[in-house]
Amino acid sequence: MIKSEDNSKNKCAIVSSKSDTKESVIDFLKKAMDEGIFDAVLIPMMTPAGDSFAYVLIKDKTLLKDGAPLSPIMSVQGAKAVSSVTRLGKGKMKIAAVMRPCEIRATVELSKLGQTDLENITLISMDCPGVLPLSDFLGDPKKGMKLFYDAAEKWDYKPMRPVCQICDKSSMIAGDLHIGTLGAKKDTFFIISNSQKGKNVLDKLGIDPKESADSWQAKVKTITEEKHKKREKNLKELKSKIGGLDNLTDTFSQCINCHNCMRVCPVCYCRLCYFDSDKVKHTSEDYLKIAERKGSIRFLPDTTLFQMGRMLHMSISCVSCGACEDACPVSIPVAQIFSMIADETQGLFDYVSGRDIEEPLPLITYKEEELNDVEDSND
Amino acid sequence: MEKKIGVYVCECGPNIAEKVDIDKVINAVSSIDGVAVVEKFKLLCSGDGKKFLEDEIKKHNLTHLVVAACSPKQHEQTFMEVCENAGINPYLFQLANIREQCAWITEDKDEATEKAIRLTKAAIGRVRYHSSLEKKELECTPNVLVIGGGVAGIETSLQLASPDRKIYLVEKSSSLGGLVTNFEKTFPNMSLTSDVMKQKIQSVNENENIKVFTDAEVEEVLGFFGNFEVKVKKRDEDKSSAEFNVGAVVLATGSTLFDPKKTSQYGYGELDNVVTALEFENMNSSGKITLKNGKKPNSVAIIHCVGRDETGYCSEVCCMYSLKFVRYLKDKISNVKVSNFYSDLCIPGKTYQKFYDQTKGKHVDFIRSADLKVTKKGDKLNIEYKDENGSKKNLGADMAILAPAMEPTSDASGLAEVASISIGDGGFFSEEHEKLGQISTTTEGIYIAGCAQGPKNISETLVQADAVTGKILSSLIPGKKIEPEVKISQISESFCIGCKKCINVCSYGAITFDEAKKISVVNEAICRGCGNCVAACPSGAATLKHFTFNQIYQELMEAVQ
Amino acid sequence: MTKALKINKNSEQGIIELLKFLLESGKVKGVFTLKKINKEGAIAYSLITKSDELKDAVPFYPLMPTNAGKLISRFTLRGSTNDPVIAVVKPCELRAFIELVKREQGSLDNIFFISSTCGGVYPLKMAVDNTIEKNLSKYWDAVMKGEVPTDLRSACKGCEEFIPYTADMTVDLIAKNDVDKQCMILLNNEKAEKLTEGIKGEFLTKELDKGKLDKFRTKREAEKKKLFDEIEAKMKGLDGLIDIFGKCLGCHGCSKVCPICYCKLCEFESPDSEYKPSRYEADLEKRGGLRVPPGVTYFQIGRLDHITISCVGCGACEDVCPADIPISIIFKKVGESVQKLFDYVPGRDVEEEIPLLTFKKEEFSEFED
Repeated sequence: MIKSEDNSKNKCAIVSSKSDTKESVIDFLKKAMDEGIFDAVLIPMMTPAGDSFAYVLIKDKTLLKDGAPLSPIMSVQGAKAVSSVTRLGKGKMKIAAVMRPCEIRATVELSKLGQTDLENITLISMDCPGVLPLSDFLGDPKKGMKLFYDAAEKWDYKPMRPVCQICDKSSMIAGDLHIGTLGAKKDTFFIISNSQKGKNVLDKLGIDPKESADSWQAKVKTITEEKHKKREKNLKELKSKIGGLDNLTDTFSQCINCHNCMRVCPVCYCRLCYFDSDKVKHTSEDYLKIAERKGSIRFLPDTTLFQMGRMLHMSISCVSCGACEDACPVSIPVAQIFSMIADETQGLFDYVSGRDIEEPLPLITYKEEELNDVEDSND
Repeated sequence: MEKKIGVYVCECGPNIAEKVDIDKVINAVSSIDGVAVVEKFKLLCSGDGKKFLEDEIKKHNLTHLVVAACSPKQHEQTFMEVCENAGINPYLFQLANIREQCAWITEDKDEATEKAIRLTKAAIGRVRYHSSLEKKELECTPNVLVIGGGVAGIETSLQLASPDRKIYLVEKSSSLGGLVTNFEKTFPNMSLTSDVMKQKIQSVNENENIKVFTDAEVEEVLGFFGNFEVKVKKRDEDKSSAEFNVGAVVLATGSTLFDPKKTSQYGYGELDNVVTALEFENMNSSGKITLKNGKKPNSVAIIHCVGRDETGYCSEVCCMYSLKFVRYLKDKISNVKVSNFYSDLCIPGKTYQKFYDQTKGKHVDFIRSADLKVTKKGDKLNIEYKDENGSKKNLGADMAILAPAMEPTSDASGLAEVASISIGDGGFFSEEHEKLGQISTTTEGIYIAGCAQGPKNISETLVQADAVTGKILSSLIPGKKIEPEVKISQISESFCIGCKKCINVCSYGAITFDEAKKISVVNEAICRGCGNCVAACPSGAATLKHFTFNQIYQELMEAVQ
Repeated sequence: MTKALKINKNSEQGIIELLKFLLESGKVKGVFTLKKINKEGAIAYSLITKSDELKDAVPFYPLMPTNAGKLISRFTLRGSTNDPVIAVVKPCELRAFIELVKREQGSLDNIFFISSTCGGVYPLKMAVDNTIEKNLSKYWDAVMKGEVPTDLRSACKGCEEFIPYTADMTVDLIAKNDVDKQCMILLNNEKAEKLTEGIKGEFLTKELDKGKLDKFRTKREAEKKKLFDEIEAKMKGLDGLIDIFGKCLGCHGCSKVCPICYCKLCEFESPDSEYKPSRYEADLEKRGGLRVPPGVTYFQIGRLDHITISCVGCGACEDVCPADIPISIIFKKVGESVQKLFDYVPGRDVEEEIPLLTFKKEEFSEFED
């Protein structure tokens, strides 16, 4: 069972590490592969041209040294990578996937939707400092790397994606194991197990989680509260800017309906999106009829409809990762908008996407007593 | 192929003609693309009207038919038959309701005409995109599975059994008869029960068209109306099982009594001489009503509404059988004093009041009470209570008989899952509709009868047994084929990505998951065409026949122009 | 010599006046053109039916938010339009539409086209923050002088197909120093002449200035050579392709905005392209490591294979790429090589069959044994 309970109850292990956390995590994974606990590891790696990072499924241990957990950019949302490996079945390999908390949460959501089989996957998350916007990295990758690693070390989230800057779930435990770097003494990190699967891994490695995670918990609390404050402020401003149909239409006026946001989104899983299907392909008569009513319509119409439709379909599972905003060619703050609405749609059901794999999706779960406050008083 | 739509406006006697300017409607739609002919007629549903339509279709070689007349509920079937007789697929037809939705709701002729025009245009806009749909026929078996060998089960079995309809009666205990076999007499006639029951049980056992399983449970019910595959497991030494096919299933599993041990106020299980109604019935049937010490009781308290607060409903029968208990006591113990403690008295219907009036009398009290508690006082029982004015009172009694609430049997929820029906109020099986479908369920072919559906007395149980019999006799006719719903959902194999949202929201269990292809598949025999799956599918891979996006869109576009 | 219509307004206003005339006279029911759609100046193609909406039209704006060929294809996908409609499009957009008509993805019936000799468009990124608006006079200066502005879409910088083939009316904008004073509309066929009957303006005969346009072409050729040489160096062999497509996100945005990509469900998104676990396991056994999701370079090569015969080099793909891959130049280069083999220019003539789908008994004998 993967549950994200009150973390302060967690017992953890304190693992001594090299000063470079990246290297230490790789060592940990290598050891686990040596012991036969994992057959393969899913982790980001730099591309051959050195200009980007991509998820690689590694079986050959010698390749591990080039692994880059918590890469500076998120070119592909990790949940998509996991899903592509196990959508059609769990396979024989035991795989460890090292990803950011939002990627793990999206993976959990996809699991609820039959898009990934997690039986042979161990999900390992890490405290996340955020991730750089793609455009700030691609122009000069070397500069981008320095920018990211310097900022990450200081836990300075200002260079990160706008939606990362207001993320109050950057240390959320949603997988099987969590590597905690915050509040750790020099040359150590915490390992917290969150499930039986996680515990089994630690057992096999001879790691006994018996330390208190208090110092990690305290640092996480400080950072989370700070970001939560920033989140409330930013989203309040955003709401006034885009609230109302006119403002909303203006916000999306530059949108060219390329649907990039939809395709990079980890929880948009449809093979053929409704808004790419025959249902939105009308006859010339119909288009002219609609145009006549207003005298002029943008062509193709239904831009705001696509955005709202997508929001309607996936908001309940949105993990606020920000992949959409990175992919938008006209720089619409789509991640911030969707993240803001996700808070509200999920809040309505006391649901947090990806928090618990056993938690059913609210919109397709029937409950006889529900949402009484919106019922007609005459019922 | 070129479409030729025929549009016919019905005057409906004066109903429509007086309120709608039909000529204006005709003018408004004559020049629409694809419309080959527009006519009006006095009464299209009459013999003449139907013949007229049939002739028109043939004369003009029409491909589609639109009728602007009354409600589809009234005559959609009628005009679909006309289409069939005239040689066009009955689904290439649309009925625009310009009577109930138009002529009958406004006095303003202009408004009515304007709306009639819109509705007719909308129907034309829609029918253009209709597809021919074919009816299917399925073989079905007329046999029936009855679960529960009590009054309801026995009655249903006896009424349905015939040489061309075999009944399988499954009873979990070792004998038939159910709760009623414990009763010496039944209200209000105080007639002897056991002989009647013995006779009924004998009839069942002797009927060669009824196969009885005792000490047995239904393990599996798969399939659909007309074609259920049943597995029954027997609790014998070999743990053998039986498999057979039936066309319908009747759940007549009866009820059990609320356990008074769940509340401490009645002293049940702790104090001597506090008994439940069932225990008292058995005591009475044995011939002697005695206390634990063997003596006869001189004073008896009958406590109604036991467990009513906990269950939240009135069990309907207890007040009446409490009156019966008064009679039992009076018959067997002279000068016995009986006090009935109740929170509300339930004496409904045309016959029960007389029974109550005749039972009241010397040494018979009816006390309205609250906050009742049974305690010990010496070797007697003491009933503490608050009377109607709220004052605390006490009454001594030798024996206390508790009338507990009627509850569903403990295996009800398990059976509900097996039969794919839901549990409703009180934990009883959920009926399809409180008024319009008391003995049917949302799963076609699965019926409920008797106390399994909710607390009731024997006559009501028999009525429900009759009702279920009627339903099955009329719908599951030997030799007749089942025509499943035509306007059903279909899921595109290429676009389905296997997220199972449709399966989650299907109330009929009509969608299964193909593990090999990792896609959802609609069972065309069970699907009722409700459209939940279509709404839930985010990519539109699920569509509803005769209610495609395009059909609805076109109708809407015309209507709101 | 071709008939022409002169309107004494700048070229953009002249076209607007023509469109106004056509709508008000009922000769067309709708107009497709670029338009400012809100007060912040966001620009999108619009379908206009009321003539006073034309006041916000910007027919020759140097921006291509979506390839109009794709839009007209969508307009006529479910059947040709019964009501006449006129569209102001760029030459590559018109060519793209012709290629789609050849594939049953649109209909030419009842649609008229106005195009221009095209000075190119700016990348989509510059539409955000009104940067294009600020550069507008600089742009028209360069176009009127017959020069190639440096910050155009790279596909435009090297585009040699700036003269429309099949437009009903053409406005010559390149290297013309009077486009800000007059609007000269070449009426290329009878349809155009009929449409303009009754409009207030001067009718004369005119031709495209071949000399000026040839001079301009050499400038564009030089830019193209630069771009192609640059990409050729990077694209050598499979390793080169892997390098260049390394940062591809697999978002398929290039495919979605490409006018020539018209499939309902792309093969590379269909179940055929999904890996079963056994395939992963086999690959890992062989290679030790595998990028996931798989098929990044495979998708690009596949798309090159499917569409380059008709690639019109519009550059919409590169504008939408989040990873800044020079995809338009790659496709343009491969496109032109393939098309050259058959002496084919996509969109030149709707009657011209698509080479790869046409069987010719005698062909490529030089490759025969």
